Formats: sequence, C-alpha cells, structure tokens
Amino acid sequence: MDRPRRDLEAQPLRRVEFHILLSLAAGERHGYGILQDIEARREAAVPDVGTMYRALARMAELGYIEDSTRRPAPDSADERRNYYRITEAGRRAARAEVKQLEALMRAARLGGLVTRPVK
Amino acid sequence: MNSERLLALSDRWFRLLQRLYPPDFADTMGPGVVETYRDQAREALAHGGIRRLGALWVRALVDSARNGAGEHARPAVKWRRSGNWGRDAELATRRLLRAPAFTFAAVSTLGIGLGLFSVVYTVVQTVLIDPLPYKNSGDLYYVWRDYRAYFDLARGWLGGPDITELQRAGGPIEAAVGLQRNLMTFAPREGVDATEIAVMFTSPNLFDVLGVGPTLGRGFSPNEVGPKRPPVIVLTHDLWNRLGADRSILGANVRLNGEPYTVIGVLPSNFEFVRHASLGPPLGADAYITFPIDLASVDPAAGSYAGLVRARHGATHEAVAAVAASVARVIDERAFGKRGLKLYPVAMKADLIATIRPVLVVLAWSGALLLLVLAVNFASVLVARAAQREHEFAVSRALGANGAAVVRATVVEGGMLGLAGGVIAAIAAAWGTRLLVSMAPLDLPRRAAIAVDWRIASVVIVIGALLGMAAAMLPATWAARASLASLLANSAVRGGGGRGRLRRAMVVVQVAVTVVLLCTGGLVVRSFDRLLRADPGFNPEGVLTLRVPMPPQLVPKLPDAFALQERIEQALRTISGVTGVSATSTLPLTAGASQAAITIPGAPGLTGNAERDRPLVDYIRVRPEYPAVIGMRLVEGRTFEHTRRPGLEEVLIDRSMARQFFPTGSAIGAKIPFGPDGKDVLTVVGVVEQARMYDVHKDDRPQMYFRSEYGGSRSLTYVVRTERDPLAIAPEARAAVRQVDARLAVAEVRPLTEVISDALRQQRVSAVMISSFAVGAVVLAGMGLFGIVSGSVTRRRHELALRLAVGADHSRLMRLVLSEGAMLVSLGVLIGAPVMYVAGGILRGVLVGVSPFDPVTLVSVAAGLAAVTLVACYVPARRVLRIDPAQSLRAD
Repeated sequence: MDRPRRDLEAQPLRRVEFHILLSLAAGERHGYGILQDIEARREAAVPDVGTMYRALARMAELGYIEDSTRRPAPDSADERRNYYRITEAGRRAARAEVKQLEALMRAARLGGLVTRPVK
Repeated sequence: MNSERLLALSDRWFRLLQRLYPPDFADTMGPGVVETYRDQAREALAHGGIRRLGALWVRALVDSARNGAGEHARPAVKWRRSGNWGRDAELATRRLLRAPAFTFAAVSTLGIGLGLFSVVYTVVQTVLIDPLPYKNSGDLYYVWRDYRAYFDLARGWLGGPDITELQRAGGPIEAAVGLQRNLMTFAPREGVDATEIAVMFTSPNLFDVLGVGPTLGRGFSPNEVGPKRPPVIVLTHDLWNRLGADRSILGANVRLNGEPYTVIGVLPSNFEFVRHASLGPPLGADAYITFPIDLASVDPAAGSYAGLVRARHGATHEAVAAVAASVARVIDERAFGKRGLKLYPVAMKADLIATIRPVLVVLAWSGALLLLVLAVNFASVLVARAAQREHEFAVSRALGANGAAVVRATVVEGGMLGLAGGVIAAIAAAWGTRLLVSMAPLDLPRRAAIAVDWRIASVVIVIGALLGMAAAMLPATWAARASLASLLANSAVRGGGGRGRLRRAMVVVQVAVTVVLLCTGGLVVRSFDRLLRADPGFNPEGVLTLRVPMPPQLVPKLPDAFALQERIEQALRTISGVTGVSATSTLPLTAGASQAAITIPGAPGLTGNAERDRPLVDYIRVRPEYPAVIGMRLVEGRTFEHTRRPGLEEVLIDRSMARQFFPTGSAIGAKIPFGPDGKDVLTVVGVVEQARMYDVHKDDRPQMYFRSEYGGSRSLTYVVRTERDPLAIAPEARAAVRQVDARLAVAEVRPLTEVISDALRQQRVSAVMISSFAVGAVVLAGMGLFGIVSGSVTRRRHELALRLAVGADHSRLMRLVLSEGAMLVSLGVLIGAPVMYVAGGILRGVLVGVSPFDPVTLVSVAAGLAAVTLVACYVPARRVLRIDPAQSLRAD
C-alpha cells in the first residue's frame, strides 16, 4: 500500500496550511477554532470548510499534525469535537516557512518595498 | 421555525453534502467538516438570522462540490482508491498461489472443459467454416447427372461429352475438369516391389482451376491430353516423400501398370484434393495423370467422370445451374432420346460437407452447451470464493477502494484463472485433436488439415480469459456492494439471502443444460450401439481381406489373369488355419459396387410400369464360395461352384430383387438379360441376403452377384477365413501372393472387422465426443450441487442445531437438507425437458434406429442424473449428522 509520496513532501506549504500550523502551534484546536483563529488574524479571506479539511487531511498524511483525543469542547459542555495537534515535523515545516517569509521580508525591505518594520 | 429545528435541518444538509466527497475522505474527515459547518451555522443564525444561514447553506454546497471534485481528482490519492491493473494482477497472482487447491481445481476444470470444446471448435472451424484451400474456392462446383427420369439415381457420374460441353458452354462457366480415380500398380523403377496407388485421371487444367500448382517442376500443359499425349505424371508430396523425397526425380521414369511415365512435377505438401463421388465418400489420389483419351469421343450414355467446374468470379449458383441444364438438354437429345436427363451443380464445399454437417452441428451445439455449463460452474465457484472474501472486500471498501476497483480486482482474478485454463485447454486441444483425427472417419473432409494452429490456440486462450472475466462479473458486482456496515449487520447469518439465490439459480441452469447434454449423449451412444449390433448380412469375424490388382499391362490376357487368380486362391488356401478362401470385386460397406438397370422379362412381379420394372441394381463379381466364406446367408438355391458349367452364365440375386420379380414363387432358374443390348442371358441359381454395401443397418439397392470371370474382373479382393487371428496370417498371405508372381502388388491388407469399424467411424467419434461432454457436464453439475448443499449446511448450522435442540432428529434434518438439493435438480430437469424437445429436432438427422424421444434412453438418463445428484447432495448433507446442538449453540 505504501508508496513514496515525494509529490506531497516536495510542495511548499500553502497559505491555508500555514494558517493551520500557526493556530495549532498555539495549542490544540478543533476545526471551527482554527477558522476563528484565521478570521481573527484578518490577514486573508477565511477558507471554506471543505478547503480547510482537505488541508487537514493532507497534513495528517504528511505527519505535520495528528488527531488529538475527542473531548467535549470547553464552551459547549455536551458536544464532543475532533481536536488536532501539531507534531514536531509540523513545527519544523512551519519554522522553515517562517524563515522563508523572513528572508522575503528582508529582501522586500532592501528593495525599498517596505519602509517601516512590520511587527 | 425555531432555531433548534433549523440547526437540525442544517445538519442534515451538511451530512448530505458529504456525498460529494470520495467515501474515504467522507469517512475520516466528514464528521469534522459537518461539526465545523454546524458551528458556523450556529454562529450565522445567532448573528445574521435565517438569511445568513441560507447563504451558508449555498456556500457549503459550492464548497463541497468544488472540494469534493478536487479530492476525487487528487492524483496522489487516486491510485489508492482505484488501484491499477498491474497491481491487481500482481495481487490476484499472489492470492491464487496462496490457495493452490482452489486454483488447481478451477484451472484444471476450465482446462479440460475448454479443451474438449476446443477440439470440437477446431474440427468445426476447419471443416465447416474455413474455405477450401483453393483460389476463390466459392466458385468451384461439382456437376452431377440426375437420372431419375430412368431409374432411382439422383447423383450419377458425368459422361465424357458432358465435360467438353460444359467447357465449351462458356458464359458463367470459366473451365470444366473431368476426373476419374483409378487404382494402379506402381513401381518407381522396373523390377522394384510394386505397390498399388490411387491415380487421378484428369483434364490438364485441374491445377489451374484449383489455383494450386506443383512446388517442384510443372503441371500439365493444355495439349498433354488425349490418345497421343506424352506419358507424364505429377506426384503428390506424400508419394514423393515415400519415394525418398529426391529432387532429381523430375524427368525420371516411373511405372504405372507396367508402363513408363515421366515425372514432371511434385505437388506442395499442403495440397489437398479429393474427387467427389457419385456414391460413396470423396477420395484423394497419390498421383495425377491426364486422360489418355479424348473425352468428347466417349460414349455419352456412359457416366464415369466427376465433373468439376470453375464459375466466373461472381457468377451465381443459378447461372451455373442454367448452363448445366442447357448442356443436359444437348446430351439428353444426343444419347438418351430426350427422356429427361438432368445436370445440376453443387457447390464444392457444400458437397464435401453434406454428410458430415449434421453430426458436426450436433457436436458444435454440445460443445457450446458444455461451455455454458462450464461458465456457470466457474461463476458459482467464484461466487463461493467471493463469499469467503467478503470481509476483505468490505475492509477494502472501508479503506477507500471504490466499486470499480473491487470489481476489477475480482474480474482480474477470474480473467487470470480463465487465461491459465485457456492455455491448458489449448495444449489439451492440440493432443485431443490428434486423438480425434486418428479416430475420425477416413473420408472426413479436410482430415489432414484438422489441427490446432496458433490461430485456434489464441482464440481458445482468449475465450478462456473472457469466460473467466464473464464468470467473475457476477460475484464482482455483488462484491462491489459489500460494505463494512452490511457485513456487520449480516454477521449473524453469514452469506445471506441474495447470493444464495444466485448460486441456486446457477445450479438449476447447470442441471438443465446437463439434462440436454446427457440425453443427447445417451441417444447418440444408443444409436451407435444399435449400429454395432446391426447385422450387416455377413460375418466379419475371422476374415482377412487383401487386394491384388492385376492391370492389363502386367497380365495382358484375361485367361492368364483368371489362372493367376486361381493360383493365388490355391496358395492362400495352403496357409495353416485357413478354412476358406474366395474373392470379390467389391467388399461390402465400401460403396464400390457398379450399377445397372435390369429387368426380368416375363416375371410374375412385373407391374407394367416401365420405370418400376427396371430397377437400378448394384452388381458385384465374386469367385466361388464367396457367400460362404464371408458368411452371407443363402435363402434359396445354391452359390457358385468351382467348376463353371459351359453355356450357363450364373447369377445370384438378393432377397429384395427376388421378392420384387417373384412375389410368390421361386426365382431360381429365372433369366436376366444383361450387357450391351441385353445379349447375355444370366440364369439365377441362388437367392441370398444382402451383404450390405452402404450402411450397416439397412439394405440399399438390390444386389446381383456374378462370377468374376463374367465381364472379366482383373483386380480382386481376396477374403480368407481363418481359425487364427486374421492379422496373424497377413505376412503369410503376402508371401503367398509374391510366390505366385513377384510383380503383383498386395494392397489393403486388413481384417474384415476393420471394414465395419471404418464404416462406423463417424458414429464412433460422435458417440465418444458427445458422451464425454455429457459426463463432463454431469461432473460439473454434481460439483455445483455439492457446493450448494455443503454451503447450505455450513450456513444453516446454527438453525439446524436449534432444530435439533427443540426435538427434530438427525434424519429429519437430512431430509430437510436433501430436499433442497432435490428441489434444484427437479427444477433443472423441468427446464431442461422442453429444451431437449427442441434439441430432438436437430438430433434426428444423426440418430439411427432411435427416436430423439426414445423413452428408454430418456428415463435412464433421468434416473442416472438423479442418482448422481443424490450422491452429490448426500455426501455433504451427512455433515448434518455431526452437528452437536449444545456445542454449536454455545459456539455462536
């Protein structure tokens, strides 16, 4: 059944994947929680639920994230949710992405595109 | 509508949308997607009311459609869901190797069944379907004389002028060839041991008309015919091989009946040609020479040539028939006083296969039925196997395999089994065909060409693979529907309802087809048995026959020939253990008699109807004591004595002739005018029963026996009755003839029993083939039934144990299980019976002395089938006895 999936590994992180890793880096989240995080960042359009879950499935296959235990969400006492948690590989991938973004940022600053430091 | 209801509705909508995703994605991610949407829906309803909720629904639809499609198309995952052919083939191989017993059983069943089928297919393809190996063979016709205006002969030889007239007619006829086959004494050189060979006398254009010529040397040129022709001969490849296959033979002289002939050509090894006969089987020849006479100058009243005609390409049968009819009018006027002689063409191939066709059609149908039983049996085996693998199917479905993938995995497995079976079948068929050809009638059309070639082998292998895939289709579609849920729900009653019905239906079909095959086999065997028991009118046991040709070139004077014949007979008589020797111009059952129309003037049986009073009779020339030596029955009078009475020309007639002309009184002493203008007068000295000339089981044309000296028969077949094994005296018999005159050839040395078995070859082959088909079908149906009953016992173990627990005894359960099998068999018989009724029509043509609805055969077939199926049910049903209710119920 197992076949090398180089085609997946070789790909850079997509934006939605980076957002997911960002959320999970802060702690375990369920699907809606991740969406709310993305919304809160106000950086990009909030992805569709289907798009996000396909990204989750893909990243689970890559081993960037994993299922956490099902447990009731703290806000609604009786409803059980699927929680996701970032793995070490996921963290590495996110850091690599951040490094790349920083490099791009430096390049943009040197190129005069950015006049004041962004933080 | 309150928000709770709206949210519940949303939930259903979101769950519904999950269908747009591939099943494995929906299984793993679906719940998360739905709950996230639910959260969004709650949010939307809380902040924007029903309008924002509606918008979310639409957005969810678009989202699911887009991402569902994306997920379906995702290449990196697709392979996992749908698999691929190569991987399926690899897995199927591994699976089959892991179950060697199953694989062996399936492949060998298929191999043997398909092998039997392919033997028949090979014969049917070569004989019935393939065109004859000549250029535009569809344009070749044989032309025959229809004498029925004079006497009962609808298929007579042509006269010489008929051929030349046909050639001259032109129009739709491109060329006409006259053919006559003669046995001649052949010696490669002077003084070398002579043998008898068949020589075809032909018009010089035969090879051009066939479009096949010599590979070595040349054919005849148009002027090499007639009284002054150069003596040239073309050899068949076979004869050339027997002479040592020497290429330098071209230009060499060989001797035919003592006269030198120059070899000008050798025919190719695949050259096959037979001259069709007015009566009797078509026969080939070892060598070809041209007519030493001019056909146009032959007496047109005498018919003695086969007429082969090539029509212009595209000319219709009707056009050829019209030309033949106009030629008939010319000949009729010239030689028959316009009494209604007719000529008609028959397409060469139709003429060739006319007698064998009905048998081959029955064989082909039987083969097809066997194939059907085989396919059904194979399908039910695969269904059973699929049932064992239902867990596996459900798991792979749950893991994301789609329907097509499961179907394909199963079909690939069936196809691989079929392929292996096909290969084995092709090998088996190559052997089987050789065996069949060795048993086949000697005059079976294209006998030599019947062999499994690469083309037939590949068809067989493809049929095997297709059969395997087709048989796997049924269980495959069923397997594709298997899911984990249904498996779990069904686990209490493993292998539930639907599939069981399918397998039972399959057994019913098998039994029905088996009934038809078994009845056919029974009838054909019975018919063959009738023929074997038939009394041919002579006693063939303990008689050796041998032919000694005595051509005029070797023995120019007739009295010398008669003296030699007498000396040969004497020499044969001195062999120890020999009790009687005689000779004949034509052995019985060889269809070689000559015919003449005769009448007995003044006989009391004359009717006044000129045609009825002049029947066509077979005449045979024999030496004294012939009837006694071969065991014919004398009804009245005496047979020929050793001394000829001067001035008395004796004749024996058969009982039917005696009855026709002398219905009440005795025929002894009656005078029969014979010969040209009836100037000879033959005196009847005895009445005999026919020694049948054509069919073992029935009398044919009336017969007359002359003394061999009358009309001068030179070449005779000697019959030697002995107390020893007839074949054991063969060397002594040869030596005896050699001692009389070393130049004489000895041919066709064989026991008289072989003459009969040769005459019955066709019936023997069909009896063997069809009965082996029938046995194969019975075995297959029995296996199917065995599987059903044993499966049923396994499946119903729990139920049966329960019945035992509440008071039923074992015998009651046995009856219960057996009645299931009996039910299937009865259904099969009920369906098979009307099919048999239809098949009876086809069969009628090949049965002798047995009606296709012969009650004895049909009842015994039914009884036999019942017995076999009962055993097939009883053996697995016995497992019921081993059920221990307490243990079984605890186990479940």
